[in-house]
Amino acid sequence: MIIDEVVDFLRNNPPFQFLSITTLYEIASSATVEFYSKGTLILRQDGLPSEYLRVIKKGGVKIYIISEKGDEIIIDYRSEGDSFGLLSVIGGDKSRANVLSVEDTICYLIDKKTIRKLIDNNPYVTEFFFKSFLNTYIDKTFKEMHDRSLLYGGGDKLLFTTPLGEIASPNVITAPQSITIREAAEIMSKGRISALVLLDADEVPIGIVTDRDLRDKVVAKGRDVAEPINRIMSMSLIKSDMRDYCYEALLKMVRYNIHHMLVLDDGKLKGIVSNHDLMMLQGTSPISVAREIESQQTLEGLRGVSRKTDRIVELLLKDGAKASNITKIITEINDLLVKKLLWISEKTIGQPPVPYCWIAMGSEGRKEQTFKTDQDNAIIYDDPVSHEEGVIARDYFEKFSLFMKEALIKCGFPVCPGDYMAANPLWRKPLTSWKEAFAGWIKTPTSEAILLSSILFDFRPVYGDFTLAERLRAYVVQLTGNEDMFLRQLAGMAVKLTPPLGFFRTFVVEKSGEHKNELNLKFKCIAPIVDIARLYSLEKGISEVSTLDRLYLIRGRHTAIDELCDDLGNAFEFLNLLRIHHQFDRIAAGLEPDNFINPDKLSILQKRTFKEVCRIISRAQDSIVKQYFPGTTL
Amino acid sequence: MLSNLFNRRVGPDLICVSGKPRNVVEMPQEILKSKVSSDLLQSKLEDARFVVLDTELTGLKLRKDSIVSIGALRMAGGRIFLGDYFYRIVNPRTSLTGSSVVIHEITPSEASECPDIKVFLPELVEYCRDCIIVGHVVSIDLGFINKELKSHFSASLRNPAVDTLSIYRWLEAKKQNACAYHESRPENTTLRSISKKYGISGGKSHNAIEDAYLTAQLFQRLLAELPEYGIRTAADLVRIGKP
Repeated sequence: MIIDEVVDFLRNNPPFQFLSITTLYEIASSATVEFYSKGTLILRQDGLPSEYLRVIKKGGVKIYIISEKGDEIIIDYRSEGDSFGLLSVIGGDKSRANVLSVEDTICYLIDKKTIRKLIDNNPYVTEFFFKSFLNTYIDKTFKEMHDRSLLYGGGDKLLFTTPLGEIASPNVITAPQSITIREAAEIMSKGRISALVLLDADEVPIGIVTDRDLRDKVVAKGRDVAEPINRIMSMSLIKSDMRDYCYEALLKMVRYNIHHMLVLDDGKLKGIVSNHDLMMLQGTSPISVAREIESQQTLEGLRGVSRKTDRIVELLLKDGAKASNITKIITEINDLLVKKLLWISEKTIGQPPVPYCWIAMGSEGRKEQTFKTDQDNAIIYDDPVSHEEGVIARDYFEKFSLFMKEALIKCGFPVCPGDYMAANPLWRKPLTSWKEAFAGWIKTPTSEAILLSSILFDFRPVYGDFTLAERLRAYVVQLTGNEDMFLRQLAGMAVKLTPPLGFFRTFVVEKSGEHKNELNLKFKCIAPIVDIARLYSLEKGISEVSTLDRLYLIRGRHTAIDELCDDLGNAFEFLNLLRIHHQFDRIAAGLEPDNFINPDKLSILQKRTFKEVCRIISRAQDSIVKQYFPGTTL
Repeated sequence: MLSNLFNRRVGPDLICVSGKPRNVVEMPQEILKSKVSSDLLQSKLEDARFVVLDTELTGLKLRKDSIVSIGALRMAGGRIFLGDYFYRIVNPRTSLTGSSVVIHEITPSEASECPDIKVFLPELVEYCRDCIIVGHVVSIDLGFINKELKSHFSASLRNPAVDTLSIYRWLEAKKQNACAYHESRPENTTLRSISKKYGISGGKSHNAIEDAYLTAQLFQRLLAELPEYGIRTAADLVRIGKP
């Protein structure tokens, strides 16, 4: 019967699929059907509010707004199984955007009363709709939209869309740095504040004193309260601009493990923000996880905290974070964890006989890891002065790295199948040996050397004596720029894997096996972009290792690829976000995260973007071929 | 199996398949007697109210054959109301032949359990109140319904009616003018083949409510095309859609 048809349709589409059959019959019986020929404006921006949630049975629509300047800003394309008009139904004031049918479209209309009832009675429905707003709207609007109030009214303050100035407390209490500790404490207790900003004679903020300083540096140490406050204040003020997004402040606070940050406008003190303010904005905060890591003293304790990383990704995804923001925060947190483990290792094994630097390699080095990835790490230690010292250092770092390997496994980082770990004697050695190894790969670019370069050249110091890593980096940069053979081999690698777009602009998928009809996002799309960025940055002597940073720096330095840099960066963001969502869905379903995507399951918008991304990668590969292999074709 | 929730048996042997049970027993005589209100015809196309109906018959001969089932849906402009449908299986006065059983999957024993059409006629008349009746080759359906109305109530439906086939042909003629070299060929004009042309996939079985829904979807497409050809009011529609 006709109602069964509606029920069958609904129960195959989220969020309806999670409702009971009885509820579905109720919805279906109240539903109506409308048809819109291609090009029909179904909802008009600032027009009457929609009375219905429309679920697309067939066809597709474009959702867009016209900005104040008269530009059309496309928010989304929706297709079969998607819905639109919810904000307007719930808000009831006006339509937020224009909705235009881009094909002949049939919609099921579900009326306001039914939708309200659904939302009241089914938390899952609420969450689904709420989440999908965040994912689709905020993500699109992050760059494009100036007028945020157009899409969501007050109340929705989000980490990635709220400038710091909006949440910073403007009432900063300041005092001259010449006052005594007692005077400072009096001001703080009178003002009921936990941090006091101190100014120099020119009224420029020069330091900060917090409750914690009074506790740790005065009371615990029995210091005289008549001493000037500047003896105990923190001098290295970490500041942010009021136009920075909150997440950037969050990132700094996680990195420096601080709880208060000054907010400046044009260099002038405008306010102060605390981790509490950020937490209020966010519910559970990455800061709280970072603090938990900081407070742990044992391996066992760290093990517990490390499990929370996945939960952070979920929160960030819900906040509509861009992929690069997510990976940055994950990197900061994993770095904290690794640093703490190294600290524990040093305590257990004893202090190192020579200075060393722990480096991260591969995606960890590029700060592009998503969920917990393999261990990819190495140790550079300072050149021993004598043979005896060499033996002592070798033995020490062997014990040390084996301890670290086990500790990392316990915290959920699986071993690297390629054995690119400090625990492998090849990847822990003195600086000079490292230089020799790199020089060998560059001078004699065998296929194995090229493979190694894709992992080892993306190294980044994490802990210890950073100058060791910096010296090695300078050496590598200076060496590679002129090595044509080596660059040519790298270029060959960058064009070897081509994006999965066939002759007829259809996706090329696996024909059989476990991943039939799927494609490997990492190999086919992400890896080529990483390779392209690495090739050109080595060619141009750029020492950054993150793909986005590399692309940013290549721009303006390389005519062949100049105009593609922005596109490649956006493509990289898109692919990583797709990957993170996919992996998160797998984890949520109790599966191992992987990189296999079924392109048929993407939305119209995603498919279109994906095809564009493939085209951009192909263009970049074409220009590599032109430069490095003239006369051949891809 | 799912449909069992909505196929309720009302009374011992009355199969009543409907979104909402109706309790019309008395014939609403005023509908059959009064003239069609002029408001109905003056309404704009997008505000007009329609009942799209389809009947299943034992055969096509008005004198010999009779109605097996009636299915109908309401529409307001181009919007189809799904839950508010009308579907009744009746006890046909003439015997169900083998060929018609195959088409609509109602067996003689099923049908003979159902009440006589007389019971349903007042409900149907009420359901169509103040609406334009729409159907594919609707003259046949109306012929049979009016035959029953005459014999039981000495009256007939006075609603304006439009035929989706007439509208389709009118539109085709308008479109052909634009490219006159098209020779007019004999064409398959069944509900299913025209619907297919519009990309509407038909229901699985051939019963009255599925076909009424199919007709409604076709009518929806036709309605979307009409404004382009100057058809804007219900009166315009009735003029070009005469059965």
